[in-house]
Amino acid sequence: MSAAAGKRFETIAAGEALGPHEIVIDKARARAYAAACGMDSGRFHDDEAARAEGLPGMIIPGNLSLGLLSKLVTDWLGAGTGRLTRIGTTYRAIVSPDRRLILHGFVTHIEAQARSVEIDVWIENEEAERPVIGTATVVFPPA
Amino acid sequence: MAIDQSLIGQQFEATEPVTVTAEAIAAFCAALGEERGQSRPGPDGAIVAPPAFAVTFRNTEAFFHYTPRFGRGFDAGKEVEFLAPIRAGDSISLTSVIRKMYEKTGRSGTMTFVVLRSTLINQRRETVAHVDHRFVHRNPGEPG
Repeated sequence: MSAAAGKRFETIAAGEALGPHEIVIDKARARAYAAACGMDSGRFHDDEAARAEGLPGMIIPGNLSLGLLSKLVTDWLGAGTGRLTRIGTTYRAIVSPDRRLILHGFVTHIEAQARSVEIDVWIENEEAERPVIGTATVVFPPA
Repeated sequence: MAIDQSLIGQQFEATEPVTVTAEAIAAFCAALGEERGQSRPGPDGAIVAPPAFAVTFRNTEAFFHYTPRFGRGFDAGKEVEFLAPIRAGDSISLTSVIRKMYEKTGRSGTMTFVVLRSTLINQRRETVAHVDHRFVHRNPGEPG
């Protein structure tokens, strides 16, 4: 997934895809993320605690979904000068651990003067639904 | 559920500064499957956290103390503006203000949305990020 060389602004075209990148977040990793972020709600650690809240089982924190999509963008940028300056995400449905997820991105707009790039990002689940959608902006320094 | 509009604009007290450690960044990177943040030092030699590290700073406990919390609540989304890198050794404090509260009615009933903006400031008084947290609560008596 990591780009060996940095992405150059001049080489980016509208319609360029980021990913798809397939990933499975197991429960241990979801718990590790929640612990690293001080998120102690039972729904992120334990099936039983999640069910007590009426959920089908343990869920992946929304912040982890945001982190995965941010990583999709920064991996695409690689070690170059482009910088992720904004990301917005909407959590439309639960994301469960131990399921196959696919991370997607798509360049929607390029602003030549500002040297900025707008990207749609989303997570697709095994049912081909999009439980997380969002947009990101990356900016390159002046040439 | 009547929304107390006087809460909009209310600012919560700044948190005590949190010192960012290389270990905290490493734990975050490991859980995210991130390699670059662990291994790539910034220009000054300090370890730079991945951008998404900004959302780990929260003072939602204070927020929930003041705002309606009923039924099952969820994180509905985030809007994050990254203004400066967060490095190991930085000391980050956070202030938060309620920006919006509104209701929406859909197929599953009526829900209340609250948008809380957190601003992260480092020890040099630089704003490093704005994070808009969007929380949703299903109203009492609604299914689910």
